[in-house]
Order: sequence, then C-alpha cells, then structure tokens
Amino acid sequence: MLTTNNLTKTVKLPEQSLTILSEVSLTVNEHDSVAIVGASGSGKSTLLSLLAGLDTPSEGEVELAGHPIHKLSEDERAAVRAQYVGFVFQSFHLLPGLTALENVMLPIELKEDKNAQTKAKELLEKVGLAERLNHYPHQLSGGEQQRVAIARAFASEPKILFADEPTGNLDTANGEKIIDLIFDLNQQLGTTLVLVTHDDRLAERCQRLVRLEAGKVIEDSVNESFEQAKTAETA
Amino acid sequence: MRGMAWRLFKRDWQSGEVKVLFFALMIAVMAMVAIGTITDRTHRAMGEQSSEFLGADYTLRSPRPIEHDWLEKGRSDGLELTESTGFSTVLAKGDEFQLVSVTALGGKFPLKGEFEIADKPFTRGQTMQAQPEQGTAWVEPRVLAVLGAEKGDTVDFGSIQLTIAGVIVGGPGQASEMFNVAPKVYINQADVERANIIQPGSRVSYTLFIAGDIQSRENFIDWVKPQMNKTQRLTGGKEGTPALQASIERAETFLRLASLISVVLAGVAIAVAAGRFSRRHYDYAAIYRCLGMQIAQVHRLYLSQLIIMGLIGSALGVALGLLIQQVIIVQFADFLPKPMVPINWAPVIAGGLSGLVVLIGFALPAFFQIARVSPLRVLRKEMVPQPVSSWLIYLLAIFTMALLMWWQSGSLKLVGILLAVALVAFVIIRLMAWLIFKVGLWIGKRGSTAVRYGLGQLKRYPAFTISQVTAFGLAFIIMLSTVLIRSELLNEWQSQLPEDAPNHFLINVQPSEVPNLESILAEQNVETAGIYPMVRGRVTGLNGKPIEEAVSEEAQNDGSLRRELNLTWVENVPNANTVVKGEWWNDAGQPDEDGVYQLSIDQNLAGRLGVDIGDVFEFSIGGVDVEGKITSFREIQWDSFQPNFFMIFEPGALNENMATYITSFYLPAEKKPTLNTILREMPTVTIIELDAIMEQVQTILDQVTAAVEFIMLFVLLAGIAVLYAVLQASKEERVLSSTLLKTLGAQTKFIRMTLLSELALLGIFSGILGVIGGEVLVFVLYQEALDIEPVLHPWFWLWVPLIAVAFICLAGWWGLKSLLKQPAHQVLRQL
Ligand SMILES: Nc1ncnc2c1ncn2[C@@H]1O[C@H](COP(=O)(O)OP(=O)(O)OP(=O)(O)O)[C@@H](O)[C@H]1O
Ligand SMILES: [Mg+2]
Repeated sequence: MLTTNNLTKTVKLPEQSLTILSEVSLTVNEHDSVAIVGASGSGKSTLLSLLAGLDTPSEGEVELAGHPIHKLSEDERAAVRAQYVGFVFQSFHLLPGLTALENVMLPIELKEDKNAQTKAKELLEKVGLAERLNHYPHQLSGGEQQRVAIARAFASEPKILFADEPTGNLDTANGEKIIDLIFDLNQQLGTTLVLVTHDDRLAERCQRLVRLEAGKVIEDSVNESFEQAKTAETA
Repeated sequence: MRGMAWRLFKRDWQSGEVKVLFFALMIAVMAMVAIGTITDRTHRAMGEQSSEFLGADYTLRSPRPIEHDWLEKGRSDGLELTESTGFSTVLAKGDEFQLVSVTALGGKFPLKGEFEIADKPFTRGQTMQAQPEQGTAWVEPRVLAVLGAEKGDTVDFGSIQLTIAGVIVGGPGQASEMFNVAPKVYINQADVERANIIQPGSRVSYTLFIAGDIQSRENFIDWVKPQMNKTQRLTGGKEGTPALQASIERAETFLRLASLISVVLAGVAIAVAAGRFSRRHYDYAAIYRCLGMQIAQVHRLYLSQLIIMGLIGSALGVALGLLIQQVIIVQFADFLPKPMVPINWAPVIAGGLSGLVVLIGFALPAFFQIARVSPLRVLRKEMVPQPVSSWLIYLLAIFTMALLMWWQSGSLKLVGILLAVALVAFVIIRLMAWLIFKVGLWIGKRGSTAVRYGLGQLKRYPAFTISQVTAFGLAFIIMLSTVLIRSELLNEWQSQLPEDAPNHFLINVQPSEVPNLESILAEQNVETAGIYPMVRGRVTGLNGKPIEEAVSEEAQNDGSLRRELNLTWVENVPNANTVVKGEWWNDAGQPDEDGVYQLSIDQNLAGRLGVDIGDVFEFSIGGVDVEGKITSFREIQWDSFQPNFFMIFEPGALNENMATYITSFYLPAEKKPTLNTILREMPTVTIIELDAIMEQVQTILDQVTAAVEFIMLFVLLAGIAVLYAVLQASKEERVLSSTLLKTLGAQTKFIRMTLLSELALLGIFSGILGVIGGEVLVFVLYQEALDIEPVLHPWFWLWVPLIAVAFICLAGWWGLKSLLKQPAHQVLRQL
C-alpha cells in the first residue's frame, strides 16, 4: 500500500540547512494501522506530509498505492490524494462557511459523485451527528467538529487515512469516542490507517508503532497490546 | 464545476465571506455610474446653455451665401437651420441717423434660448423664438435713443421703410463682439431684397445657425468641416462664450478628474477586499488541494466565483448608481443647469464594464494566489502562497487603471499625470515602510508596552501594513486633492465675476465730453474701470517691411492684421494686465532718439505674429503713419469685463484729437436711469448693456459651482467608504491579535491602548502620504491640466494627518469595540 525508501527531508535555513527527516524506510500493508510517535519536533508531521504526498522529499522515494509520488507533480499528487487518501487533523480544518453536511459532501462532490448528499448523510449518522446536519462548524463543539472531520475523511472512501494528532485538542472522553470511531470505520471499510499521536491510548490500538527521534526511526515494532486486544476480542 | 462555484458563492455569501468584496465592487460601480452620469448630464446641459449665447449649437459664418447642398444635407440630417444675412447700414429718422449692424433672419431665431422683446427700453418684455414680420424691425435700445424714436415709428432702411415692432432687451449675445459694434437690428430676410440695400462690394456675411440633437449635429459638422474654406468659420459649444470658456473648461477637467478618481477609489477598495478574501480562502484552498482538487480546478472555481460576483455586483451597482444620480438630479434641480438633458447610456455602460475590468485588474492577482497555496498549509498554518511576481500585479493593476481612465476621460494627458503621481506615491510608500521600521526601533526603546506592541503589530506584517497605508493614503490623496482643486476653482470663479464687475460699457465718448461724463458718474457714485482713449488703426509694416512680406502666411490671416485695431495709450499698466516680458515705460511721453514711441503688446498676439521685444510696427492711423517699438509683452485677463487692448502705446505717440473714449463700470439696477441722463446729455455716446449677459454668466458659474460641489461631496463619500472598507477588511486580524492578548491575560485598557496606537500610527503614516501625494498631484494638475498658478497649502500639512488619525481611530475603534466586549472564546469561534 505504502512504501518509502531512504526518505530524507532537509530545509534550507538562512545560515545552514537542517535535516528534519533522514533515511526513513517503511512499508505499510493494506489494512494495517500504524502509529507514528515521538517527542515534539522529532519530525512526525513532516513524515506524514511526505507519506500523504502533501510535500515532496529532498531525497528518497515514496510509493503510495502503486504511484511513485516523489516523481509526481503537484496536480498528479492531488489526483492520487483524491482517489486514495483521507485526512484528519488536530485542528479540525472544517470549512467554516459550510454546514456539517456540506463539509462532508465536498470530497464526494470532487469525485463527481451524484449521490453525495445521501452518502454524506449516512456518514454523519454513523458518527452520531444525524441531528446536526445543517449546523455550521462554529455551532458545534470541538469533539463534534472532529467527528465531522472524520466523516469527511471517510467520505471519499479512501484506501488510506492519515491523521495528525486527531485527539490532540480533545478531552479524554471525547478523545476516546474519536478513537473508537476511527477504528470502527477502519474495520467496516478496511481502510489503512497512519496516525501521528502523542496519545498512548490511540497508539496502543494500532498494529504497529513507529518511533521517531530527531528525524530518524528508532523503533518499528508490532504492538503487543494490540495482539492482546485482538485476542481479548476473539475470546 | 460551475454549479459548484455557484453553490460556493451562495454559501460564501451566507457566511459573509464575499460580502465585503461584493459591496466594494457594487459601491465602486455605483460611484462610477453616478459620477459619470451626473458629470455627463451636467456637462451636456451646460453645453446647451452656452448654446444660448450663440443662439444655436453651432454657427457657420461665410462671406458668401451658404452652399445650397449644405443646407439640404443639414435638413435631411434632421437639423434645425436658420439662415441670416448680416451687414452694416444706416437707419434714418428725419435728420437723425445711426449706423447699425443688421441681421436679416430667414427663419425663427434664436434656435437655442429666446429673444426678449419689449415695448420700451429698460423694461421686461415677452420671450419668443421668432423672426420679425416683413416690414418690421426689432432694435436695440440705443437705436431708439439716438434716433429719438419709439415703438411703432417708421425708419428709413435703404429704399424702404420699416416699422419698429419692438425693443430687444434680452437674447443671444456675443460677448466677444461687444466692442466696436454698432447697435443690433433684426429684420426679416425678405426685406433685404426689397430695400435693395446690398450693393456689389458691400461687406456682407452670411450666417447659418444650426441646432439639433448631438448625434445629428456632430454628423453634420464632421461632414461639412472638410468642405469649408479659409474664409468660413464654424463656432460651436463653449466657443460661443469666450468670457466663460476658461471656467467651463476647468470645470470639465475637474469633473473628468472626479470620474477618474472614482476609478482609483474603486480599484483600491476592490484590491483591499480581494486581498482579504484571498487570505480568508487560503485555508479553503489548502483543504481543496488536500482533498485532491487540481490547481486548475481551484483556479476555475475561484474565477467562476469572481465572474458571478462581478456580473451581479456590477448590475446592482449600475442600478443603484442610476437611482442615486436621479435622486441627486431631481433633488438639486434648482442648482443644476436647466432643462436637464436625458441620460446618455455611454457612461452607464462604461461604469458597469469598468466594474468588471477593475475587478479583474485588481482582484485577479489576489484570486490567482488562492490556488497556489500549498496543501501543506493544513499541517503548517503559516504556509502562505508564494506571491505572484509583484511586478506582474502592479503592471496589471496599473495597466487596467490607465486603460479605464483613458476610456473614462478621453484624455491621455490626465492619465499620464495621474500615473506619474501614482509612481511618486509608490516611492513614498516604500520610504514610509522603511520609516515605520526605523521609528519603530526608536519608539520601541521609549514607548509604553502597549504602544510598542501596537507598533510591533505593524512591523510584524509589513506587507499588510503597507497595503493598508497605501489604501488609506490613496484615499486621502484623492480626497485632499478634490477639496483643494474645488476650493481653487471656486475662488477663481468668484474673483472672476465679483459682485461689482463692470456691467456697462460706454464707447464713442468725445474728448470734450469726458469731463462731463466723469462728473455725472461721480455724482451717482459710480466708479469706472478707467476712461481710455481709443484710436483705430491698421498695421501696415514690421521693421521697415510691408506687413505682407514681414510675417508668415498664417499670421497674415490673423484677425488683428486683417481689420482695424483699437489702440490706446496709458501711463501705467492697466488693471487685469501683467507685464510678462520686457519692461513697461517709466519715462512716458519721451520718444527715443529716432522719435519712436514704445509699444506694449498682448503676449499671445505676439506669439501668433512671431514678433519679439525690439521689433517695430508701422501703423496707418487716419491716413497718418505712426511707428511703435515693442518694449513689453502683457498677459491680459480678457474676461475681466473692462476695456482691454491688444496694443498699448506710450502716451504722446497718438493724436489726441482723433480719439474717442471708452469706459466700463458697474451700475446696479436701481441706478439704470443714469443711462438716460448720459444719453440725453451726450447723444452720440454708445451704451452697451452687459447686465443681462452677466446675469447669465453668473447663473452658469453658479451651476458649475454646484456641480463641482456635488461631485466633491460624492468623491469624499466614496473615499470614506473606501477607508471604512479597508478598516473592515483588516478588522479580524486586529480582533484576533487582541483576543489572543486577552486570553494571555491582558487588561482591556492595555488592549485598547495597543489597538489605538496601531490605528493612530496607520493614521499618521497615511495622512502624511496623503498630504505629500495630494500636494504633488494638485501641483502637477494645476500646472498641466487646469492652467492655474500652482501653490502649496501648508495649512493642510498639519490638518490632514490629524484628521486621518482621528478618523481611523474613531472608525476603527467603533468597528472593534463590540467584538472586544465579547468573551474571548466566542470571538475566536466566529473567526
Ligand atoms: N519548513 C521548515 N523550516 C524550518 N524548520 C522546519 C520546517 N518544517 C519543519 N521544521 C522543523 O523540523 C522539525 C520537525 O518538525 P515536525 O513538525 O515534523 O515535528 P513534529 O514531530 O510533528 O512535532 P510536534 O509533535 O510538536 O507536532 C521541527 O524542529 C521543526 O521546527
Ligand atoms: Mg506535528
């Protein structure tokens, strides 16, 4: 689904150039769920933006759903995103001028799907906002806004969902709800998950854990607690 | 995609996103349509009015009868035409006779304006457009005085007799011809042949009076002009009233400027609003891009929005503009020229289209930015799009602006001036930005924390600060220069026609009658503009050569060489005359060693004839040759309503016994009977009454003044609207930063100080920019376009920045205070 090879990102500062990500090689399989963790400033967001094709690496390769996105132009990457990718961000990034329903409809409309409205309504029902369809973001609480964002992320039926600290702005209870939602949808739709998080509860529920330090991968492990959770579930 | 653009537009509209931009556009179009239409209508109405001086829209004068096919063409073009024949002859009654200037009318007259025909001199009469019936004549009052006749009497006219059917007390007048003319008499064309009065060799001129709607008459003029020969002369529009020409031209320039200025204001408002719109939409675009929209798609999305907005906004703006101009024209009908002419659609269409052009020129660069935002912005808020090359933006804006201005004003020169001043303003703005930084460092060390923070706000976002200062500054430049030019024009006009400007001329006063005249006038407390001797003479040579050989062919055709000139002599420089080259005589009466006296000449005439200081003219005066050596050039204020002379001799040069005297004075209506005393005691003196014409001149000036005042008011309102729009557009940045301060625990008082010092600094900088730019603009305009002596206005140097600070602080604070009262989290949610 997603492979990187020696992914490196350097930025030029006035004085010197700074390497914020060096030689990251990863493989993420379909239906995997991967948590990227690490201290603040370790390069998590940078890695995510490269994986999702929002930015281009200075060196190395990224292949997303068979597309060599390090070689693609802005627009070609956008096309790949439209087809395969969903996003959830820490600050929810809803369009303030659009209602909850319209926000969710947007990616579906971009795919020129005629049934945008029905699909968006279904999704909002799934995230428990059936009553709030015509409310604007500023009329919703932070948790509700994040749920709209999740509905929107899944609206385009992405093969892979990227999330940058999706629970970062929420209290424990709401964070919990969001985590449940993401994994429910991941289960139902078979979506691959790549999450950046500081939240242990969220990290625990992923199959894999990738730890960054100063731009380098220092750990890439299968999550034991995940195995436990799975066994517990089957039992 | 278009469906989506429309939906987004509607949603943006509901959320208030596009309202600012939309209203900026609407107000801009409204202003352009309203100013354009009012200007156009008053302009044309004024044209109509000056036509009343001519008695027609155009006159065509020829020494031979007007070509037959010209008449046919004119009639088939749907024009009103009246032919007339003009010549001088003598009217006699018993032993008395008077040289008169006859106009024989072949149809009704005047075509524009009306005659006022009375039964007795100096009374009110009946107004009409007509021609005297066959066998009758309408005469000017002094004919009656000289002939001792009254209405109903018959006078000898060639071989027939005419009955005096009325006295002309009002009607078309030609101020330029008010000297030397014998009193006017109007008769019927048919009587010319009956009287057998035109002999071969008589000097006769044929005049065709032309009137009609603008399209047909311009058509006709374009057709006839190339066929005219040198001896034929076309006069039209404002040329009919030379005394007013300069005033009307200046007023027109002012109005044209005003409509240009409305374009600039529109551009500023739209650029600011578009900048805000695009900043607000970076997030949207980043999300669109993140969700997989192509750059071109985003472009198309926003372009479609722009076009939707442009069409609706322009349409509404046109409608509102039309409404406003109608309200103004109806409301102020008393002050505007009458009758008001109907709307001409050209400026309306121009206004509407300009809206679109301005929108594209000023908003496109900002809109173009939107799609270039990196999708990374969803992760890193600080990512803003690479600016489109700023040169491209400026070039596009300047180019559209120039094009629009040219289109609106039809004057490349005005456009050039405005662009040059824009360039100066640009340099000043850059300088200011640098200054803000320097002053910032200085205050930073001294000012209170709040002031420092306010300044920091400006320093942190230099581009944003510059754009605000530019927008405010431009608005102030425009408002200031409008006010300055308006005051100057009004001053000029008031001084041009003071309350007691001479309104009567006396000519043909015999030397022996001068003392008597002086005492009569003194008795009535009437002050004259001086009593000047007048001698008629013809220029025969220059520097010893016959004049035909001495000057160019063009100069030979100059009126001054083709007819007799009025010459005078005075000791001192007369009022309304300024020596601009050479020196005035100070040893009056002393010829030089060759016995040649000094001569002073009108500088324009000198230019036309190509003569210079030191040249010697030869004159033939009553058969005697006289020489005069040019020692000075004068600039003459021709519209001063006092006797003015092209050429003035040093005293002693001319024979006093050949002179008659001329004077002018102001005579209020209640002293009119003085004229009867003068006529009784000096029957040969000719009185020219200008009071009626001057009343008309005054009316026109009043109306022009009113028009200028309205337009100024309108420009000021538009300027304030722009200032307000800019404050609105920058409001949320201010609210955001102060709300942040609040969350950080700052006191309301501290926040208020911060905001006020930021606003005050903006006010000072834009006020200074306004003063410098305004002075430069006005200086250049005075010199290049308005022909007014440029001056500086130090008085405003202090006031404008002060007013700017007061306005920006007040309006800015007013818009913010309700938001600042709300709890922080509520404010943050609304943004
Ligand atoms: N465009 C840039 N210019 C300069 N430095 C950058 C740039 N982008 C990222 N960095 C730096 O690279 C480092 C990694 O940034 P990144 O945002 O990926 O960290 P992060 O792991 O997501 O941190 P956090 O958990 O705080 O979000 C940081 O030190 C950041 O300052
Ligand atoms: Mg991060």
